Amino acid sequence: MNKALWAGLMLAILGSLAACQTGKDSAGPSPAPLALEGSAAPVPWKRYVVEPLGVRWPQTDWKSFNNLVQTASPPVGALPKIDGPIAGNAENGKKLVLDRSRGGGCITCHILGNTGSQPGNPGPDLSMIGAQRTPEWLFAQIWEPRLTNPQSFMPPWGTHGVFSVEEVRDMVAFLMTLKTPAEFKSDKENPNKRPAPVETRPNLDPTENPAAFIADKGAAAFRAAGPKGQACIDCHRDPAQAFAVWGAQMPSYEPRLDKVLGVEEFVTRHARATTGGEFPMQSETNLALAIYLRALANGQPIRVDTRSPGATAALARGQALMDKKVGQLNFSCRDCHDPERGGNHWFRGQYVSGLPNLLGHFPTWRTARGEVWDIRKRFQWCNVSVRANELPPDAREYGDIELALTTMNAGRKLSVPGIRH
Amino acid sequence: MADSIKVRAQMQGSGAEVRVLINHPMETGVRKDEKGAVVPAHFIQTLRITHNGNPVLESLWGVGISQNPYLRLKLASAKPGDKIGVAWEDNLGKKDATEVVVQ
Ligand code: HEC
Ligand code: HEC
Ligand code: HEC
Repeated sequence: MNKALWAGLMLAILGSLAACQTGKDSAGPSPAPLALEGSAAPVPWKRYVVEPLGVRWPQTDWKSFNNLVQTASPPVGALPKIDGPIAGNAENGKKLVLDRSRGGGCITCHILGNTGSQPGNPGPDLSMIGAQRTPEWLFAQIWEPRLTNPQSFMPPWGTHGVFSVEEVRDMVAFLMTLKTPAEFKSDKENPNKRPAPVETRPNLDPTENPAAFIADKGAAAFRAAGPKGQACIDCHRDPAQAFAVWGAQMPSYEPRLDKVLGVEEFVTRHARATTGGEFPMQSETNLALAIYLRALANGQPIRVDTRSPGATAALARGQALMDKKVGQLNFSCRDCHDPERGGNHWFRGQYVSGLPNLLGHFPTWRTARGEVWDIRKRFQWCNVSVRANELPPDAREYGDIELALTTMNAGRKLSVPGIRH
Repeated sequence: MADSIKVRAQMQGSGAEVRVLINHPMETGVRKDEKGAVVPAHFIQTLRITHNGNPVLESLWGVGISQNPYLRLKLASAKPGDKIGVAWEDNLGKKDATEVVVQ
C-alpha cells in the first residue's frame, strides 16, 4: 500500500475514534455537583471518647510513632548494653507475658505452655523455648526482633519503649522455664484447632439488625427538604433505579479533588452543593444516608473503576499504605490481615479476618459496640488499636486504602448494612 | 408511626414465630458520657404483645435488658392473616406501637 494513503487511512480511523469518544462523553451524565471547599469531617478532628455500650477509645497521643501520614518511629534499634548474665524475676515475667494492657501480652500471638488461657497463634509456639534458646538470644528477639528477621511483625518491644530492660529480663527468665509442650483441655483452648467464627446472622433481616432503623432514617433524610428548599428526592425521583449499582462502584476517584471519595464523603460534599444539608462524616444523618444509598445496590458485584491515571495512582498509594508499619506496636494492615501473617489467625480470643474478605458489608452494625461503623471508623480503630494516631475520616490516605481494599474485593456481592460482633 | 419497632410474624409449623426488634437505648442510669456525667436512666418499662387484640404477653422490664431489645416468641394459636400488635412504654413516658399481619 502507498505510504501516504496508509497514513491518511490511519488518521481517518483515529479521527473517528476521537469523535466517538467525545460523543460518548457529552451523552453521559454530568458529574455530580460537589462542594470542593472545606473538609467533610469535623475540623480539627477529635478522637471518639465513649461509645453507646461504654467502650472507651484510648486518648493517648502517639505522635512519636508513625501513622499513615507521618514517619516518626525510632529506627531499628541496637540492643542496650547489659552487664553480666541475663537474669530476672520469672514470676514477674509471667505476669508481663499475660498482661493485656501491655500491647495485648505475648499470649496474643504465642502458645506459652500451660500458662494463661486462650492463646493466639500468629507467632510460633513457645512452649519449649526454654530448652531451645539462650537468655541472650531471647533478650535480643524480644527487644528488637527485626535484628534477626527484618520482616518480623512481632512488635519491637524494647526499641518502641513498651517494656523496660528490667521487664524484658523478667520475661526472658520466665521463657527459660518453658520446657514442656502445651496440653489443651479442649480444642477451644487450642488456637490451631479452635474453629473460625462464622457470621451467620441474617444482616438484611430488619428484625435482626438494628442498623435497619438507621437505614429508615436515611430513607427519610433523602425525602426531607434541606436549607435550600430542595430534597434529594426532588432531583432523584427514582433512587432505587438511579442508584441500583452506584453503591457497588464506590469508592471512586474524584479528579476535582484529586482524591478517592467513599459513599460517606460523597454524601457530605454533594449535599452541601445541592440541598445545602450539612452532614459531616460520622454524623448520624451521614451514616443513615450512606447505609440507605449503599443498600440500594445490595446484591450487586463490587466493581470499582481504577482506569484513570488519578485512580491508578491512588490505588498504588493505597497498596503501599497497607504495608506501612504504624504505631507503637508497629503493625501494617497486612501484618494483621494478610493470611501469610496474622490474617485468619487467632490473636488471643480474637479472630482476625484475612484479606481480601474485609468489606462489602459496610457500614455495618457492631453488636459489641452498639452502633454503626462505616469503613473509615473501622480503619480508625485498626490504627488506634496498634497505638497509632488515627486520621480524620475524610483523609486522602483512607480513601486510597479503601480503593485498594475494594479493588481486592471485586466481584463480591454488596450486603449492607452488615452485622458484626 | 412505629419508627422504633420491627416485627416479623411468620407461620412455622402449626403456629407463628414472632420476632421483635426495638430501637431503644435502654440506659441503665449508671453509664457516664464523654464528660463523665451520668447518662440518666431511660428504659422500657412495659412491653405488650397482642394477638387479634387479645393480650398474649405483658412484660415488665428494667435496666437489666440491653440496648435494642430483641424478642422471639411462638404463638401456637396464630394463623395466617391474624394481627399481632406490639407496644412499649418507657420510664420517661415515651411510647410506640405497631401491628403486623401473620404471613
Ligand atoms: C439540585 C439537584 C440535586 C439534588 C438536590 C441532589 N442531587 Fe444528587 N445528583 C445531582 C446530579 C446533577 C448528579 C449527577 C448526575 C446523575 O448522576 O444523576 C447527582 C448524582 C448523585 C449520585 C450519583 C453520583 C454518581 O457519581 O453517579 C448520588 C448517589 C446522589 N446524587 C445522591 C444525592 C443525595 C443523597 C442527595 C441529597 C442529600 C442528592 N443527591 C441531592 C443532582 C442533585
Ligand atoms: C503480633 C504477634 C506477636 C506478639 C504480640 C508477640 N510475638 Fe513473639 N513472635 C511473633 C512472630 C511472628 C515470631 C516469628 C519470628 C519473627 O518473625 O520474628 C515471633 C517470635 C518470637 C520468639 C522467637 C521464637 C524462636 O525461637 O524463633 C520469641 C522468643 C518471642 N517471639 C517472644 C515474644 C514475647 C516475649 C512477646 C511478648 C512481649 C511476644 N513474642 C509477642 C509474633 C508475636
Ligand atoms: C493489630 C492488628 C490489626 C491491624 C494492624 C489492622 N487491623 Fe483491621 N482488624 C483487626 C481486628 C482485630 C478486626 C476485627 C476482627 C475482624 O473482623 O478481623 C479488624 C477488622 C478490620 C476490618 C473489618 C472486617 C470485617 O469483617 O468487618 C477492616 C476493613 C480492616 N480491619 C481493615 C484494616 C486496615 C485497612 C488496616 C490498616 C490501616 C488494618 N485493618 C489494620 C486487627 C487489625
